[in-house]
Amino acid sequence: MTLVPLPAFIAVSATLFFIGVAGVLVRRNAVVILMSVELMLNATNLAFVAFSRRLAVAGERGSVFVVFVFVVAAAEVAVGLAIILAAYRNRPTVDVDQLDEMKG
Amino acid sequence: MNIDVVGLVWLVPGIPLAAAIVNGLFGRRWLHRATGVIASVALGLSAVLGVAIFFAVVAAGHVARTVTLYEWIGAGDFHVNVAALVDPLSATMVAVVTVVSFLIHVFSNGYMEHDPGIHRFFTWLPLFVFLMLTLVLADNYLLMFVGWEGVGLCSYLLIGFWFERPAPYTAANKAFWMNRIGDWGFTIGTILTFLTFGSLTFHDVFPKVAGVAQTQPLTITFIALAFFLGATGKSAQLPLYSWLPDAMEGPTPVSALIHAATMVTAGVYLVARSTPLFAVAGPALLVVAIIGAVTALFAATIALVQVDIKRVLAYSTVSQLGYMFLACGVGAPIAAVFHLATHAFFKALLFLGSGSVIHATEEQDMRRMGGLRRKMPITYWTFLLAGGALAAIPPLAGFWSKDEIVGAAFTNGQPILWAVGVGTGLLTAFYTTRMIYLTFHGEPRDHHLYDHAHESPAVMTVPLLLLCVGAVFAGLVLGFPPEAGFIHRFLEGTVTAEAAAQSELPNYVLIAGLAATAVVAGLIGIAIGYAMYARRRPDPAAVSRAVGPIYTLLWNKYFVDELYDHRILEGGRALFGAAWAFDAHIIDGIVDRLAWLVSLLGSGLRRVQTGIVGNYALSIAAGLLILIVVYGGYATGVLHR
Amino acid sequence: MDVLGPILFAFLTLMIVGGGLGVVLAGRITTSALLMAFTFLNMAGMFVLLGSETIAAFQVLIYVGAITVLILYGVMFTPQTPRAYGLFFQKQTPWGALVAALAALPVIVVAFSFHDAASLPAPGGDLNALATAVFTSFAFPFEVASVLLLSAMVGAIVLVKREPASRPPAAPPDPERPV
Repeated sequence: MTLVPLPAFIAVSATLFFIGVAGVLVRRNAVVILMSVELMLNATNLAFVAFSRRLAVAGERGSVFVVFVFVVAAAEVAVGLAIILAAYRNRPTVDVDQLDEMKG
Repeated sequence: MNIDVVGLVWLVPGIPLAAAIVNGLFGRRWLHRATGVIASVALGLSAVLGVAIFFAVVAAGHVARTVTLYEWIGAGDFHVNVAALVDPLSATMVAVVTVVSFLIHVFSNGYMEHDPGIHRFFTWLPLFVFLMLTLVLADNYLLMFVGWEGVGLCSYLLIGFWFERPAPYTAANKAFWMNRIGDWGFTIGTILTFLTFGSLTFHDVFPKVAGVAQTQPLTITFIALAFFLGATGKSAQLPLYSWLPDAMEGPTPVSALIHAATMVTAGVYLVARSTPLFAVAGPALLVVAIIGAVTALFAATIALVQVDIKRVLAYSTVSQLGYMFLACGVGAPIAAVFHLATHAFFKALLFLGSGSVIHATEEQDMRRMGGLRRKMPITYWTFLLAGGALAAIPPLAGFWSKDEIVGAAFTNGQPILWAVGVGTGLLTAFYTTRMIYLTFHGEPRDHHLYDHAHESPAVMTVPLLLLCVGAVFAGLVLGFPPEAGFIHRFLEGTVTAEAAAQSELPNYVLIAGLAATAVVAGLIGIAIGYAMYARRRPDPAAVSRAVGPIYTLLWNKYFVDELYDHRILEGGRALFGAAWAFDAHIIDGIVDRLAWLVSLLGSGLRRVQTGIVGNYALSIAAGLLILIVVYGGYATGVLHR
Repeated sequence: MDVLGPILFAFLTLMIVGGGLGVVLAGRITTSALLMAFTFLNMAGMFVLLGSETIAAFQVLIYVGAITVLILYGVMFTPQTPRAYGLFFQKQTPWGALVAALAALPVIVVAFSFHDAASLPAPGGDLNALATAVFTSFAFPFEVASVLLLSAMVGAIVLVKREPASRPPAAPPDPERPV
């Protein structure tokens, strides 16, 4: 059985991760930025699982870490959405460019 | 008695401190006039304990016990304890300070009765006593310095007690600054003592003095002179005396406290305590004697022409302190301490008596008084006896102690200083007579003032009477027979460096002859005073006209204040002006430039803070990129460590 | 069988990268959300391909289920007005894209420096190993994670809770009474 080599998975993970980074950097809609962050988290999950399955030194620890990333992602998206809603209530916009009260 | 009284010595300063804290915290809102009662009771307890300790030390003979409260500083070889040294000298001082302070506190209840700031007064007053007792009981120079500075602070606060008026706060500032000059000397002395002896504790320093004097005589002399500079500031000697007469601007009980018990005696105590140091200090001892004698004469001449009753007393204090330093300088520190004790009683009495007069008439100018003896008999008689003690009329207290000082100057080979002492005695008798006559005798010169005068209440007269007992009998009890009395045996070995030399029988013929000379001089002074102010023959006004320039000189107190103001202070102001300009333009200029630079940088950096979240995210990503590049560079070997 | 793995991998890679790009580039936000769910679903396929069936199940449950639903709620609660200016990019778009691309390149290069281990864990599911690890070595972090979830829940509630519109005005201080 020909296995897909480990570097291929890592490359896919890195690609998706930087797509997420680009999304965070270029989009101005807060909800889309949140989605991009989720993409990044998921990309790291792929790397974790790949290492867990294909590197002897990683063992189950990679998979366990993925579980924790799930937890963090769930918490992050809940709080993130709460912040977006709270900010939206103060200023009716989800355009992060207009949330510039911290301008020096 | 199984109670270890000496072990309780820390309560002696502790109780006044507690009273000061209670009055300071609760006085303004709740206690008001009760502060006086609290302070008086506290001082009463303290005095009882102080006297008990005195008798305990007497009973035990020549003890010197150190009661350590805790270690204050322990750094390597440098150890300073908060500890009380109880020996005959400090026990004598404690007894005098607490008893006199207690009576002054009681008197103050009457004197300050109507003052709105009474709680303030009775906060500072016990604090003053506390710090003086700290000074007296300290077993090392550093703790002594705490008390030393503390009494300076309290005198500042109390002299400027009526700070609403300009004169008191000016006087308070003057006292503070002059004392600061002296304190600088004390600081130098303390530092040098530590550098030379490696310790500041009396018991460590004094045994080494003789040895060090062999190798480093100049150092010892310099240390002694530095301490003496401190003593001249605190004890109002030339050239730092002029704050004390100005200190009359404070309430009269404060003056009594400063003059009798708590402040000016500190300098004498310092010199007496450091006798082993001064004894081997060579020329320093002569400096002490000369400064003392000159100050005594100088202040007595000024006192001749003063018209403010308190200023006469102030200059007389300066003069009497001069006597004490003269005694220290001619190698008779016991006589100095003896005179300190008797002086504390009669000078406190004189001040409280003048306070009683001022309380009754609200006037300090003797030219407007006269004839008050009929209105204020108790004040008059006590004042008369105290004046007699000041003029050294036997058998009153001042006679025994002062004659001993003057005699010591003669027997220790300083006939010139002896002559100065006798002459000053004549002047003292004269101005005392003048003061008493102008105040109490003759016809009332201001009838409105005379009609309103009245004897003071019992809370003021009873302390007068008690102090009068001391002023009359203290000399006899402590100092008879001359040079072999109780106080000599008591202090011998503690104060004097060589105990054995003193124990031989004194030459009573010589002593009697010297005493007779001094008494005759005093009587001459009284006679002149009586002739001038009772008989008007010669008329004082005519005399002052006859010696016009001298009178002007004395009236203006030798123009010393003007000299200080115009020469020294002008120079100081110029220096301070230059310092200010340096500070304002150079130091502040540098700081301003730095601030300008920082604000420039800040306004540049401010542009980075766009407030747009995306920009922040971009900068994070850029940082990530840099990290990746650097890490990748090291990992691939492109970059080297 | 030999070619099934690589073919599957290529397909999933295409779907994931395409879906990810779609999320970032899509004009309509609901499109983005649905494409995100699609990407997550394909990611679950990747996990299966790697032999981690349990993680794949979690992925479907949590990401495709819970998180996507949450995001859709977020989309619902905020108005999605079309932009008057341009598409949806901001001024720093070229810079952001450049930085992301520059950072991605070395990472992908580094990715090819890894190699598969000599002996691989036996296929046949990862549930046992995962469960053993979570409840033995990682028991404490697991509990801490539950605390994190709880606090995130409380925090989210506090953040979106509306303040009362107006409070009764505070009584003015009484000038007669000392403070």
